[in-house]
Amino acid sequence: MNKFKTLALVLFSSTALLVTSCSKDNETPEPQKPVILTVNTVSDLDGSAGAVYYSLSTNKQITGDDITAGKWDIKFSGTSIFVNGGTSGSGTTQAQTVDGKFEEVNQAPADGYKTDASGVNAIAKWYQYTGEDIKPNHTILPLPGKIIIIKTTAGKYAKMEIKSYYKGNPAITEAFDANTPSKFYTFRFAYQADGSTSLQ
Amino acid sequence: MKYIFFCLLIALTITAKAQHADTLLTDTSKAKKLKEVVVTATRTNKTLMQVPMPVTTISNKEIKNRGLVRLNEILNEQTGLSVLPDAHGQGIQIQGFSPDYTMIMLDGLPLIGRTTGILDLSRITTNNIEKIEIVKGPVSSLYGSEAMAGVINIISATPPVGASGSVSARYGTNKNADISLNGAYATQRLSLSGFVNRYSSSGYTLVPESGSATVSPFYGYTLNGTLGYKFNNRTQIKLQVRDYTSTADNNFLVDNDRITGDGTEKTLNASAGLTHRFSDKFTGDVRLYHAGYSTKSLLINNTDNSVYDETFFDQNFNRAELQGDYKITNSLRFTGGVGGQDESVRATRYNDKKTFQSGYTYGQADWTPLKKLDIILGGRFDAHSVYRSQFSPKLAASYQFSDKFVLLASTGKGYKAPDFRQLYLNFTNAIVGYSVFGYEEAATELKKLQDQGQIQAVLIDPTTLQRLNAESSTAYNFGYRYKPFTGVMWTVNVFRNNIRDLIDSQPIAIKTNGQSVFSYFNIHDVYTQGVETDVTYNFLTRWTVAGGMQYLEAYDQSVLDQIKAGKVFGTDQATRETVRIKKSQYGGLLNRSKYMANARIAYQDDKTGIIASLRAIYRGRYGFSDVDGNGIVNRDDEYVKGYVLFNASVSKLFMNNQLRLQVTGDNIGNYKNPGAISNLAGRLIYAGVTYNFSKQQ
Repeated sequence: MNKFKTLALVLFSSTALLVTSCSKDNETPEPQKPVILTVNTVSDLDGSAGAVYYSLSTNKQITGDDITAGKWDIKFSGTSIFVNGGTSGSGTTQAQTVDGKFEEVNQAPADGYKTDASGVNAIAKWYQYTGEDIKPNHTILPLPGKIIIIKTTAGKYAKMEIKSYYKGNPAITEAFDANTPSKFYTFRFAYQADGSTSLQ
Repeated sequence: MKYIFFCLLIALTITAKAQHADTLLTDTSKAKKLKEVVVTATRTNKTLMQVPMPVTTISNKEIKNRGLVRLNEILNEQTGLSVLPDAHGQGIQIQGFSPDYTMIMLDGLPLIGRTTGILDLSRITTNNIEKIEIVKGPVSSLYGSEAMAGVINIISATPPVGASGSVSARYGTNKNADISLNGAYATQRLSLSGFVNRYSSSGYTLVPESGSATVSPFYGYTLNGTLGYKFNNRTQIKLQVRDYTSTADNNFLVDNDRITGDGTEKTLNASAGLTHRFSDKFTGDVRLYHAGYSTKSLLINNTDNSVYDETFFDQNFNRAELQGDYKITNSLRFTGGVGGQDESVRATRYNDKKTFQSGYTYGQADWTPLKKLDIILGGRFDAHSVYRSQFSPKLAASYQFSDKFVLLASTGKGYKAPDFRQLYLNFTNAIVGYSVFGYEEAATELKKLQDQGQIQAVLIDPTTLQRLNAESSTAYNFGYRYKPFTGVMWTVNVFRNNIRDLIDSQPIAIKTNGQSVFSYFNIHDVYTQGVETDVTYNFLTRWTVAGGMQYLEAYDQSVLDQIKAGKVFGTDQATRETVRIKKSQYGGLLNRSKYMANARIAYQDDKTGIIASLRAIYRGRYGFSDVDGNGIVNRDDEYVKGYVLFNASVSKLFMNNQLRLQVTGDNIGNYKNPGAISNLAGRLIYAGVTYNFSKQQ
């Protein structure tokens, strides 16, 4: 019985091998099909009570001792976004902004990254303030086409798009009320854990 | 001042015994209109039908019949023109050009006094005007810088022989008051005239909860004196002086602090001209001109009595010019001139007194090779002490198929010199901390900041910059004037302006405080194109209906290129995610309406002395803001909605047409848009009275 089983297995395997070798021409060997990155959307990250920290690798808000331990990647404070590096943190996180659509930014640039310096953040100019002249007045609106590329302390790449500064990611029309609770960050990001620059 | 008016009025009334109807009713009838002579397009007298450029005229009678007292009011009712609201005054847009690019002239001499490029038209009274001529398309070939979109020339009235005078007043909503007193005396040789005009308003507030007035109360005086003398049939002189002073009573809130203080604005224009006819063929002119413009303001913060802002601006412009006009043959006429200019400015935001010198020469041949064909070829060369020399050629032709149909075509170059601000500004925003330096100051001022350790990074080394060039355009105009049957005049003009080297600011360095240092560069290439048409129809002797419209496209070429390359993005309004902008979504340059139109119906009965008109002015939607921060207009909520204004006036003439009583309604529909249109105060109702007299010798 055992022998028979073994024979069957061998036969089956060789047939399978044969079949595969025969079809080799048609079927290109797939060198590890790139895993499509998961796009995470973070809704209403609440920074209304003070700075709020986030880890892209764990997709979690960082609080308490983990902040001092440097387990965060980015920090939101009002209209400023800080990276864990330079003057802002103990890490070596860097970032830059590229123009494009989130889905189309498939590759992190090889260079051009900066970390935070005094008064000059690596992630600057991500929003526009409408002021008195533009309606809705006194509103913070994320600039379209500004995709933030982050190189974390661990050397991993991520892309990020900020969608809203207001609670509930509300539609912005002329009638928008600038008194809507603010410092509630809604953004989406994709994190490449394998250390490559591919952001697909 | 009011008392002086009344005293003078009485004095003048007493002296006027033999009274005579004034020019209220004498008008360019249809036949006359055809033979109407215009001067601005060619610097020579030419019949309106023949002149090969798009020219519009507005007669004094038309202005009076509509009850309009300031230049902005009358220009806003013209086809293709729009008066733009701005904190720095009401400027004019022609063929999609910003106000910076239209030259405003008084009797052929340029008015100065622009703030951020805008010459406030409400400064200019329509009192004592014979007519206004508007030339569209560049006339830099004759007038040099600024005459890029066109020229608006205000032509003063020449007094009739004898003693004459008038007093007129208009008063209404917002305590808007405009009072003019004119007096003149003329013989065959001498002509002497003068007027005083007072214009005042209590201002208005469109957003009361802001605690600040939209327009502060103000009053302004215009004094004008003109002296002409004919020595003989060949030689005459003309002297003119005009002074305008206006004072605004500012009062506004900044962060709960009340800021108050006066702002004054003064202009002075003085000119002297001598014309001598050497022969039947050759006439020479010499003209001297001085213009001054100054502003001053001192604003006090009432909370702690500190000085909130103190500024001054002082500009002077002097010109000497020689022009000759030579009729070589009956079909060929040459006009040429040469001139020199000296300009200076001193201001709060400039380091010291800045001066410009420039010289120019121009020439124009007006050739009629066939009776029906008129060709004009001209050009002007401007040499300047600060920016590159400019040559502005022009070629224009008209062909008269019949008395009823004339085809016109023209092409030419226009330019606008960099202004003082773009060359010399030295400004640092005390609150935010950014700096703006004019091109000429950028290198030294940046060096100063570097020495003080305020610069983190230099983006563009100012010493490597190309010399700032004048902005320039190449324009094409093509159209016709057509009188299909008696009483109808129909004009069409198609235009295209290719504008190069528009000056804009961009960062040259980053300061250690994270703010930028800006300077000026020739950056943008834009174009405007469109078509304009006007129809006037007189019927049943008393009625006139008229209408006009303009279709306009105005785009920034670099934005179009960026869109083509897929590099312009917007925000999806539902998801707040980035989307790519298509060309069809691009709304073009801000403040340009794709469609503008106007319609007018007028009635005039000479027997009863009743004159009435109703006008509708439509301004189509236009780009206003950039809500999604991509630098362009692409969303519906980035536009100001289109609107229609209705203006009307009714007059009745009495006493052999010497006395006119008038009611004028401006914006009868009471249209307002407080957030976007600051110069629409709502419905304005005025009552007016004019009394004319003249005494024949």
